[in-house]
Amino acid sequence: MRRTAALLSTHGGRSIPRALADVLVCPLSKQPLRYCEATGSLVSDAAGVSFPVLDGIPSLVPKDGKLLDDQEVKSEQESSTTDSSG
Amino acid sequence: MAMQAARRLASWSLQRRLLLPSQVQAPSIPTAAAAAAFLHSHATSFGYKQVREEDKSKLVGNVFSSVASSYDLMNDLTSVGLHRLWKDRLISKLNPFPGMKHLDVSGGTGDVAFRVLERIKSVGHRAMQGTLTETEEDTHIYVCDINPNMLNVGKKRAAERGYSKEHCLSWVQGDAEALSFEDGSMDGYTIAFGIRNVTHIEKALSEAYRVLKRGGRFLCLELSHVDVPVFKEIYDVYSFSVIPAIGELVAGDRQSYQYLVESIRRFPNQEKFAQMIQEAGFQRVEYENLVGGVVAIHSGLKL
Repeated sequence: MRRTAALLSTHGGRSIPRALADVLVCPLSKQPLRYCEATGSLVSDAAGVSFPVLDGIPSLVPKDGKLLDDQEVKSEQESSTTDSSG
Repeated sequence: MAMQAARRLASWSLQRRLLLPSQVQAPSIPTAAAAAAFLHSHATSFGYKQVREEDKSKLVGNVFSSVASSYDLMNDLTSVGLHRLWKDRLISKLNPFPGMKHLDVSGGTGDVAFRVLERIKSVGHRAMQGTLTETEEDTHIYVCDINPNMLNVGKKRAAERGYSKEHCLSWVQGDAEALSFEDGSMDGYTIAFGIRNVTHIEKALSEAYRVLKRGGRFLCLELSHVDVPVFKEIYDVYSFSVIPAIGELVAGDRQSYQYLVESIRRFPNQEKFAQMIQEAGFQRVEYENLVGGVVAIHSGLKL
């Protein structure tokens, strides 16, 4: 139940509150989200989409998701720590 | 007192209907076809206008962006303040408890969320005599709305009421048809005056089912159908003549309120909607009419 939270803390920083991190998932794939510090957005690796966080409000409307281009996906995957719990 | 009279009015013609368990229904082909036709018609109707399915959510979005700032005032005016009692009744039925995780969908301006919060705090204080226990700290209320303007109004209202220090209130922009919450993460789900604006009702219902824990409760407060003779006629005149006029005067937007009024008529009636909730998997589905059916509260349990 703490999948997104686990991923976020693996990245050594949590920019959205724990209570949100505990329950939020990608609205498309229902898989955990990853916080991208560079863009300040929530990334769904499963769906290959990123969602912005505006004024502290995560904007998780499916049609507003931004498709990640391949380069972004590759570099994020290379640098991310694999989360063993789930 | 005026409140007593208002309460009596709000619960006048209180009717409770318990839908029979699923052993009674044997879906026949005509029924399934009728259901599909109905769902399609809801998805492609914008009030009395016909629209493309893809366009509906954008049109609804425009309505709510337009009405967001005067939304609360308009609610007070058009319902003569009754919406407050209706929401009180909704919370009463929800019966919030400290430590609960609650999701309020299409709750942009925060009315329902604030009530849940206040109720939990008062329950908690009565039980624990003011000391914050671990359980109370687990309480969390998520407000989800597809419209950022409505959420911003809600956040502002929260600040005005001194809730900005509250760590148990979260605002998320999301789609009722594709929620961004984990399976089985919520104890309660409410949607007040929001479901009729959703393009695919059945998707919203199945998402509600998905995010609720076992034992979780679904509650929907929505404008519904009035069958009471004479009162029905008065209500129709009020809806189609008075409400859009108030919309024009107060919000400077007659069309949005025209849409709102039409969308009520297009929405399924109490029985039909109860059936849809049951089809989404909920059990012990029932509804309560308020003010002769002007408003109905539907509830269900995920077992």
